[in-house]
Amino acid sequence: MKDKLKECIKWLQSKGVEYADCRYVGRDRENIRVTDGTVDTLARDLDVGVGIRVLADGAWGFAATAAVTPAELKKTAAKAIQIAKASAMTLRERVKLAELEPYVDQYASTWRKDPFTVSIDDKLALLMKVDARLRQSPKIKKAESGMAFLRTTKLFVSTEGAEIEQDIVESGAGFNVIAFDGKEVQRRSYPNSFGGDFASLGYEFVEEMNLLDHTDRVREEAIQLLSAAACPDTTTTIIIGAPQMALQVHESCGHPTELDRVLGTEISLAGGSFMTIDKLGKLKYGSDIVNITADATCSGGLGTFGYDDEGVKAQRAPLIEKGLFVGYLTSRETAPVIGKRSNGAMRADGWNRIPLIRMTNINLEPGVWKLTDLIADTKDGIFFDLNKSWSIDDKRLNFQFGGECAWEIKNGKLGRIFKNPLYTGITPEFWNSCDAICDKDHWHIWGVPNCGKGEPMQTAHVAHGASPARFRNVKVGVSK
Amino acid sequence: MIGKERLFAKLEKVLAQSKADEADVVYIGTESGLTRYANSAIHQNVFENNSKIYFRSVLGKKTGVASTNSLVPADLKRTLDNSYDIARNQPENPHFPGLARPAKYRDLDTFDERTAAFSPRDRARVVKKIIAVADRKKFTLAGAFATQCGEVAVLNTKGVRAYQPVAAASINMIAMSATSSGYAAGLSRHVDDIDFENLAQVAVGKCDRSQNPRGIEPGEYEVILEPAAVGSLLEWMNYIGLGSKAFQEKSSFLAGKIGKKIVSDLITLYDDALETHSIAFPFDFEGVPKKKVMFIDKGVAKGVVYDRITAFKEKTRSTGHALTPDSSGEGGIGFNLVMAPGKTKRDAMIAKVKRGILVTRFHYINGYIDTPNAVMTGMTRDGTFLIEKGEIKGGIKNLRFTDSMLRAFVSAVAVSRETELIQSWWDAVGCLKVPTVHLGSFRFTGKTEF
Repeated sequence: MKDKLKECIKWLQSKGVEYADCRYVGRDRENIRVTDGTVDTLARDLDVGVGIRVLADGAWGFAATAAVTPAELKKTAAKAIQIAKASAMTLRERVKLAELEPYVDQYASTWRKDPFTVSIDDKLALLMKVDARLRQSPKIKKAESGMAFLRTTKLFVSTEGAEIEQDIVESGAGFNVIAFDGKEVQRRSYPNSFGGDFASLGYEFVEEMNLLDHTDRVREEAIQLLSAAACPDTTTTIIIGAPQMALQVHESCGHPTELDRVLGTEISLAGGSFMTIDKLGKLKYGSDIVNITADATCSGGLGTFGYDDEGVKAQRAPLIEKGLFVGYLTSRETAPVIGKRSNGAMRADGWNRIPLIRMTNINLEPGVWKLTDLIADTKDGIFFDLNKSWSIDDKRLNFQFGGECAWEIKNGKLGRIFKNPLYTGITPEFWNSCDAICDKDHWHIWGVPNCGKGEPMQTAHVAHGASPARFRNVKVGVSK
Repeated sequence: MIGKERLFAKLEKVLAQSKADEADVVYIGTESGLTRYANSAIHQNVFENNSKIYFRSVLGKKTGVASTNSLVPADLKRTLDNSYDIARNQPENPHFPGLARPAKYRDLDTFDERTAAFSPRDRARVVKKIIAVADRKKFTLAGAFATQCGEVAVLNTKGVRAYQPVAAASINMIAMSATSSGYAAGLSRHVDDIDFENLAQVAVGKCDRSQNPRGIEPGEYEVILEPAAVGSLLEWMNYIGLGSKAFQEKSSFLAGKIGKKIVSDLITLYDDALETHSIAFPFDFEGVPKKKVMFIDKGVAKGVVYDRITAFKEKTRSTGHALTPDSSGEGGIGFNLVMAPGKTKRDAMIAKVKRGILVTRFHYINGYIDTPNAVMTGMTRDGTFLIEKGEIKGGIKNLRFTDSMLRAFVSAVAVSRETELIQSWWDAVGCLKVPTVHLGSFRFTGKTEF
């Protein structure tokens, strides 16, 4: 394959393009889901192809094909040139790329147990056990458990001389139940909602979740929610559990620091950003204890890789330091706008999509608190656990999140359980009200395998290191 | 494009090698081009030639699914064998009713040569023209313009042979000033039927009228929801409540309410994939002919859409709304939602509003909050206006709504006689066809700074 791509690059150079890269991506997926004792999904997918990105006449063209023969690659390369020349018809400013050392390298993620060598029998046996335990009550209307595995092989070759091979394995699992009593319907999940947790690790990641240890608690909490009081409408102190903190970071810091959004190129669908360039180095985004870092180098995250899809080496870059907004996620095209070189955030959803600026592992750095101490230190408040709904405006200011459930905090202790809890706020006001973050013992990198952006839609696999954190004067319970 | 005869020959050759009791294959092939523009220039311009081939092997009540995007015969055979191995290694699914039997499909014209042949240069010419419309007001323009063609085929060992070529063109655009934005969008199987410059005028007009928006306090307001706003609410209602899976697991807002009045009698909602003035499509991914299904008839809950597995569970028949075999656990889902038009002219609706809000479009709706009550939240964007005494008084800053759609649609005052096609998650095999709706009460629960 490398020879085919190099031949294609050579042909593109002979056509006088300003820059080009060819990306081969092969993805092998396995999805398993058990619902109420039956296997409702057991699917394997193999997807391969090549995407060719060309800069000609100062503008971009991209074409992709699933047929990876030399003739088809040349045809696709010619199409990419034709598209770039069409793009140039509306050109206002020629594309300029930040300088880059062309790497010749190989990268592989680390795993102990290749998930594709673990038998389907073993995987199903575990899920069936989980399923049986979850359904040990007539009030459980539905139990759903699943696993997902992905192996991605990539080859990147550019006109600048880069030749990069990458091999990345991802694994994930989780379960949820729906309880129903004739009137009320409630859901609980483990270890996270919407499919569970995911990492760039092997099957050992699934084993370490200890799924069976959590079935009884999850089932009983779902049943408990059926008769729970509604979350009160009030303004109060909240403590947000780590999985929901991950999503809070995702929506209110990850997306608004994507420099392409800031520069307006995602405005029609995903929107823009309130974190405009004039605010860089000046905006007090959060309180002094808030430190948020984009780190594509940390072990096991879904946003961990060797090189991004422009051939830029994985990096660790601060976004928020002691509450101050200090950095963006950038690409080779956007970084020069702020006088920088790319920090390696260009990622494509497969061979048939053009790379966009995407999150890597966007981590809320751990603080100093133990969770028990933090709850004990809170006189009145609400503890939010696991996400149920999410929404944020198109500049990432006004957000609203719903939780699967919440607990009242009274005089330093967890009390009543609340159903359908919501909290809402304005991003910088909210982060400036953060007065406590739990320490590294509570910190975990949560995988988010469904981050949508771009047209045509691209789904990125990103992650967020987070631990529970406390926020003051937050509006909660606005659903009625 | 491969063509019906060649495609059938290729896939039949593989199916003939199946060792399973039954097997089916779903083919989805696409050639799609998409031009994105922002800051009044094209910044992304892409083309993709791809296909997805799903094989399902059936051994009694055991099924296995494997898929590939390679049309190389050896890869197809390997994928078929993978599906067989997967089927062998799993327990029986008591709800699996076997594969569909052959059926007749409605003869629908779903292809357009001009759309299929529309080149990147053609798209760039259109974008140049609409940018010029925005330039005249010194606004910038951003959006995406896609043209695509493709083929869908479903074959099985029981004799199902379904094939349909498709084409579709869609555009969305936002005109932007320093303080405002305005949205417009178009969709058709026939690219020449989209009046691009008129859409640009609509976006520019909204942007112009909503400059220097004022803030208003959240609360309960009368609203005029334009088709893009209605469409995005319906798309979420479809996802959380109009499919058989949500209905059977009781999380649907229709569960336990069939035959009961749930919203105003002005509201009629159904799925009709055979509506020829829409993005029509004759069969689902199990090869079952599409049927018209009524969800809500004059305010009364009527039913949901089914695939074969969920229909078998309820001892009813599939309505022709199955997803691809890899998603067979998801149940049926609506692909072609239609809200029936009313009798009121759109222009006359605003005149009836005492004090209310006109919403062009919603952003980032989420409908998971309380699905049995269809509680959703989301933000307004790209053209939100205050209406007083029947007149639009200017733009307002965007607001967050959090409300039950059942409660909101109970308060319907009028439904427009005009409808628009709205692009959905289903691209060339489905869309929404919706009117403008006047609701007497809609709850806004938050505000933002722009």
